[in-house]
Amino acid sequence: MITAHALVHAYGERRAVDGVDLVLHPGERVALAGANGAGKSTLLRMLATLLRPRSGDLQVLGHDQPDGARQARAGIGYLAHDPLVYLDLTARQNLELYGDLYGIDDRDARIDDLLDHVGLLTRAEDTVRTFSRGMAQRLALARMLLHRPRLLLLDEPHASLDARGGELLDRQLMAARDDGRAAVIVTHEVERVARVADRLVVLRAGRVVRDEPTTGMEPMDVRRRYEEVAG
Amino acid sequence: MTEGPARMPGERAAVIWGSIATLLVVVSTIGIFLVAPEDADQGVIQRIFYFHVAIAIASLVAFAVACVAGILYLRTRNDRWDDVGEASIRIGLLFSVLVVITGSIWAKASWGTWWVWSDPRLVTYLIVVLIYAAYFVLRSSAEDDRKMRYSAIYAIAGFASVPLSFYSVRVAESFVHPVVFTSGGANMPGSMLIWFVVSQAAMLALFIALLEVDLVGRRSERALRRLALRLEGT
Amino acid sequence: MRRRQLAALVRKDLRLELRTRETIVAMVLFAIVMLAILQFGFGTRDDDLTRFVGGLMWVTLAFTAVLGVGRSYVAEREQRVLDGLLVSPVPRVVMMSAKAIAIFLYMTVVEVVVIPLVGIFFVKGPYWESIGWIAIAALLANLCIALAGTLFSGLALFTRARDLILPVLFLPALVPVVIAAAGATYSVAGGPHDMSEWRGYCLFLLAYAILFSLVSVATYDAVFDD
Repeated sequence: MITAHALVHAYGERRAVDGVDLVLHPGERVALAGANGAGKSTLLRMLATLLRPRSGDLQVLGHDQPDGARQARAGIGYLAHDPLVYLDLTARQNLELYGDLYGIDDRDARIDDLLDHVGLLTRAEDTVRTFSRGMAQRLALARMLLHRPRLLLLDEPHASLDARGGELLDRQLMAARDDGRAAVIVTHEVERVARVADRLVVLRAGRVVRDEPTTGMEPMDVRRRYEEVAG
Repeated sequence: MTEGPARMPGERAAVIWGSIATLLVVVSTIGIFLVAPEDADQGVIQRIFYFHVAIAIASLVAFAVACVAGILYLRTRNDRWDDVGEASIRIGLLFSVLVVITGSIWAKASWGTWWVWSDPRLVTYLIVVLIYAAYFVLRSSAEDDRKMRYSAIYAIAGFASVPLSFYSVRVAESFVHPVVFTSGGANMPGSMLIWFVVSQAAMLALFIALLEVDLVGRRSERALRRLALRLEGT
Repeated sequence: MRRRQLAALVRKDLRLELRTRETIVAMVLFAIVMLAILQFGFGTRDDDLTRFVGGLMWVTLAFTAVLGVGRSYVAEREQRVLDGLLVSPVPRVVMMSAKAIAIFLYMTVVEVVVIPLVGIFFVKGPYWESIGWIAIAALLANLCIALAGTLFSGLALFTRARDLILPVLFLPALVPVVIAAAGATYSVAGGPHDMSEWRGYCLFLLAYAILFSLVSVATYDAVFDD
């Protein structure tokens, strides 16, 4: 799903991501952790095709980056801090927009399903401005899942989702293993994510300092393994 | 990465082009003032034409180089093309200001006034100066990769605006004063043409020399910054 | 696919505009205020400003365009939606074209108010005929404004002091448009129509639009390519 080799991104001369190797297989769910400024978000944005690598090789969903960005984008589901929806459109209008951008054939049926899934069907015709933060983020969850992405890229998802949204997301991530989707979850709360991830990757100063499977490990142990190297 | 011993790459080119430019500028200045024939109508002031037109053409070449460098930067994302683009526009802008100044002097001598809104060359170059001055405003308000990318895009769009400004002014002029403007070069006697060609070559060589010097400076600056960063890192 | 994306993006911009009415109303009001200021600034009671009608109108419209173009990514920026569009498989050219269409429509709405209004005061000769010719030139000018404006608003979007950067970038590029559109307007407003002059200016506007659409195709992809 992802093959990254010697990936570098720099702001001016300062390297935020400094030679990262990462291979992600179908069904794998990676918790990507690290202190502030370790390069997690920059790396995630590169994987999401929002940032060009300065150097190194990157393949996302089998497409070389940055040239194959558009093909890769069709299969990426991206959840950011911001819900990435227009506040002055209704929930349904937002999803219709994204449905058209992704060229979804069964757009309206799919939107109804997802709105129901995230518990917003009754609020479908209200503008997002009237939503609480948690509701907006649940709409963002629906937006992310709309085009049935094979690769989920999540930036601190649990920080902004409400309890209900968090549960929905966890269920998605559990199901991902069985239907061959992959996920990268950037997180501060390692224990929280450890329950749904099967691999821990820790970044420090733009480099991978730990990359190991965590299947069968207790969340507290994962936390300890993280803290040993995070700095 | 290997920093050369004492010399920056391109230093030799800068020295060579500097010498050629110096030689040509001296020769053309002597030629223009001492050898070229005096214009029957305009007298000595006509000699400014050699500088005025040669600098104008050299500035257009500089903007064209920046446009090509912009395209190459967008293709390759190599910082070096950003250096070439910025240095070219800097020199081109300097030349354009000189075009406006020499044109203004010429206007004062021929028409008795420093500025003539109906002279298409003067007005066009005023717009060109504004277009490329904005380039530096844009550069100073963005950082790193974005700065370079925006600059490249703007260099391309700016170069498209140059002929548009030129023709818009001419189209407007042709309706207001239905006169056919003939370029000075069309009916020049041969002895004038030779000195025009020499002064044109001098200005182009000057552009290349300034560009090379600027690029050497930038390269050493960048090498220094990298060195400083590496020292910080250790 | 591209057409569906383009239609969705334009529909989105128009929906937002209809709901918030933030841009067009402000643009129309700005244009009227600007015209009044210019009139007070230049004119005295008995001067006939017909000679300056093209200038008055197109200086006003150029500044109105800067105002409108400056707001073209305001929802994306303030509500931080841009990443959502960028991470979707929309070609950047389609994204930018949608903005260009929106700017074109906004300018057209402003002109529907401004041109007849200016016409009442300044047009000599047959009113509707003159207005018609001016309108055609205006549509061509709008095309130029939309193509160039989309590019420059994209460039200014993430700069510091973008509200100041945009006019500095955009206005010099608009000078040819103002010259030609003002010329075309004057040629059919000042009494006897000079159609060959009008045609010359319109052809120039068309050439500007063609050249800038080439620039757009070459550069639109790079504007958001971080």
